[in-house]
Amino acid sequence: MRSLYKLTMVLVVLSMVLAACTTPTAAPTAAPKATDVPAAKATEAPKPTEAPKPTEAPKPTEVPVVEVANPPATPEQVDAISLEGKKIEVTFWHNRSEKDQAFLQGMLDEFNASNPYGITAKAEIGGASYNDLYTKVSAAIQAGQPPSMSLAYQNQAAFYRGQGAVIDLNPFIKSSKYGFTEEDLKDYFPAFLASDANPQYKGEILGFPTQRSMDVMYYNVDWLNALGYTEPPKDWATFEEIVCKAAKETDKYGWAFRHDASNFASMVFSNGGRIIAEDGSAYVFNSDAGVAAATTVKNVFANKCAVEIPTSEKYGEQTRFGNGQVLFVFASSSGLLYYKDAVEKGANFKWSIAMLPNSGKPAVNLYGASISVYKTTPEQELAAWLVIKFLGEKEQTSRWAIQTGYLPVRASAKEAVITSEKWGPVAEAYAQMFDWAQYAMVEAPVAGYDPVRSIIDTDVMSKIVADPTLDPKTLLDAAVAAANAVLAENAPK
Amino acid sequence: MTAVSPGSLYQTPKKFGLSIRTWRQIKEALFGYALLAPAIILLLVFEFYPLFFGMYISMCEWKLTCVKFIGLANYAKAFSDPAMWHSLLITATYSVISVPVQLGLGLVLAYLLFQKVRGLAIFRMMFFMPYITTTVASAAVWAYLFNPTSGLINEAMSVIGLPGLKWLGETKGIFAMLAGTVGLPLPAWAAGPSLALISLIIYTTWVFVGYDIVIFLGGLGNIPGELYDAAKVDGAEGWQLFRYITLPLLSPTTFFLLIITVIGTFKAFNHIYIMTMGGPGDATTTSSIYIFNQLVVYGRYSYSAALSFVVFIVILALTIIQNKVAGSRVVYD
Repeated sequence: MRSLYKLTMVLVVLSMVLAACTTPTAAPTAAPKATDVPAAKATEAPKPTEAPKPTEAPKPTEVPVVEVANPPATPEQVDAISLEGKKIEVTFWHNRSEKDQAFLQGMLDEFNASNPYGITAKAEIGGASYNDLYTKVSAAIQAGQPPSMSLAYQNQAAFYRGQGAVIDLNPFIKSSKYGFTEEDLKDYFPAFLASDANPQYKGEILGFPTQRSMDVMYYNVDWLNALGYTEPPKDWATFEEIVCKAAKETDKYGWAFRHDASNFASMVFSNGGRIIAEDGSAYVFNSDAGVAAATTVKNVFANKCAVEIPTSEKYGEQTRFGNGQVLFVFASSSGLLYYKDAVEKGANFKWSIAMLPNSGKPAVNLYGASISVYKTTPEQELAAWLVIKFLGEKEQTSRWAIQTGYLPVRASAKEAVITSEKWGPVAEAYAQMFDWAQYAMVEAPVAGYDPVRSIIDTDVMSKIVADPTLDPKTLLDAAVAAANAVLAENAPK
Repeated sequence: MTAVSPGSLYQTPKKFGLSIRTWRQIKEALFGYALLAPAIILLLVFEFYPLFFGMYISMCEWKLTCVKFIGLANYAKAFSDPAMWHSLLITATYSVISVPVQLGLGLVLAYLLFQKVRGLAIFRMMFFMPYITTTVASAAVWAYLFNPTSGLINEAMSVIGLPGLKWLGETKGIFAMLAGTVGLPLPAWAAGPSLALISLIIYTTWVFVGYDIVIFLGGLGNIPGELYDAAKVDGAEGWQLFRYITLPLLSPTTFFLLIITVIGTFKAFNHIYIMTMGGPGDATTTSSIYIFNQLVVYGRYSYSAALSFVVFIVILALTIIQNKVAGSRVVYD
């Protein structure tokens, strides 16, 4: 038995040694398949709790990888941007006063505290005027250091776009993750939204409105009544008549002429014309409407009924209006609170605003810079967009309108704004502007409109004011030719 | 026996194969260059690099970067641009009027202040103050003074029964305006510089005459008193002293002021921008304002760079001409 035991042990050890010495095969040939494992059928043991067979395991959901371009070209690309943990900092350049800067930063601080992405937005004054801001942004673009976002007029945004510096906001607006709902978009005043679609760049949205204003006629109600009129002039002939009646008093004038092409544009609109063709293909302000507008200026200066405000006299028309020295001023509605202040500190009379006289078809020149986003990184562009979205919300646009005198951009904000006590005696007039918005016209949202504004002022208006014997049509034709050359120079290539 | 030459006995000691003397000269030169290096680096980085980069931009179609090299096309465009020539004409007019007025007035006032006048220090300070006042602030104040409806100048004129003028807003030439007062019409070419430009020259004179006075006073102080004494012994007095002693010996100072004033008038920008922005119309659009407008309003980066070089060449040519014409008449001893 003992020898059998020994023999068995020797055989076992020998077989183990031989097994260890064999070359291992690539794969166990007879390895049982996993599917064959549950062989407990016979025993009727409870099945494992429906464990999925490894071969039938569901594949992980295939998330299509979206490559995000810079700037994002589609809403899907915007959706694919992740801001988690990136702590993006956004700089917003504007041209408002110190007081408004503090107010704006206050709103942005709320955004900084509440946004779930850790975005920090900072407002900075980029200049005292839109021109200053334009100069600074242009220089910053050349230096390769644009802000994340800034206020810019539509034509300025188009100019920046020509340099590849400003991005199209369409993909952000339409983004399902970060964009607007249909309801949101319906809440925006259509004319305000439409003003940012650029005809030169196939409808690209180069800015988004968070404020708007319009060119209105400020008038001295008491003085107008004293002249025998119960309402502001509705047509241009009556306007000329009243202006010249008002100028009969020594050192007083019926109208204050500002060196601002927007005043001319407003007059062209209310004479039934346009500054540029609807498709942005050519300047057309030498039309009959343009001639009529220039002729009005010519007539009131030929009769010495209007006063020219020198370019060096900043806000001179406002001061003179407040002092009761001019009857009418055409200016932006965003100056409403400043005019209120000027009148209260000045001659303290009853005043109001109205639409400019017209030739049968009312029209208002819609003003207001939008916020443009500059090409930086997709993350920063998205963060800037989220700041714009925040500033456009009902709450913010209402507060901003009450603070600054601008119009809110959402219909739902109207009630909150017009009931503000801040408007005082002009509350009714302010509320009217919401009705005038339906007559909105936009000057020329094309690159190179700034030099054209300069041409209008230098080559047409200044010349007529200096020498009312000049022929408006001749001046306008020459100006349009020069303007069209600028348009061609700045056309997208 | 081998002869030993004195040279081999007293061989010049050497370092790195160079004589100690040469080595010392190299060391001194290197030290000199090392001292010069910071200034040279600053010049290269902040003067020459921007200069050559500006020249490069002027030869490009520029949109953030050089989109296309266009060579001298912008320069050709500048020479056929009537607005550029007009701006140069305005600048030249501004210079031709304001330089003699400034220097003449500066010299007269300096000569008066050089006499034994009571309160001399106060007068000197009064005249110099406009020069050290911020241009933007003083230009804004002068724009207010020139205001046609509420400005103090027109107020003062009305007190003495004169009609108010449009000053900075007037495009009419001053000769035409003067002739108009007696009902004499003048052709356009004889109308003269606009009143707006003359108003700017009045401001410029107010600002820079103080600087000219200070420099002239320095020059007057350097004229030896013995020369006047000797001239007086010879019977010279008053105008003769001024004509034959003061003026010739002041010529280096006058020449220096002439050069920098002409350059200054061609570069003038700040006060023109504040007071008129080149207007009314283009009545005060000097070349600086024109270049600025081409850059900022029109966004023509490369063209404005080319215009800058055109003006640079004009200034350089004027300086060389002044050196040739006036430099030889300067009395340095």
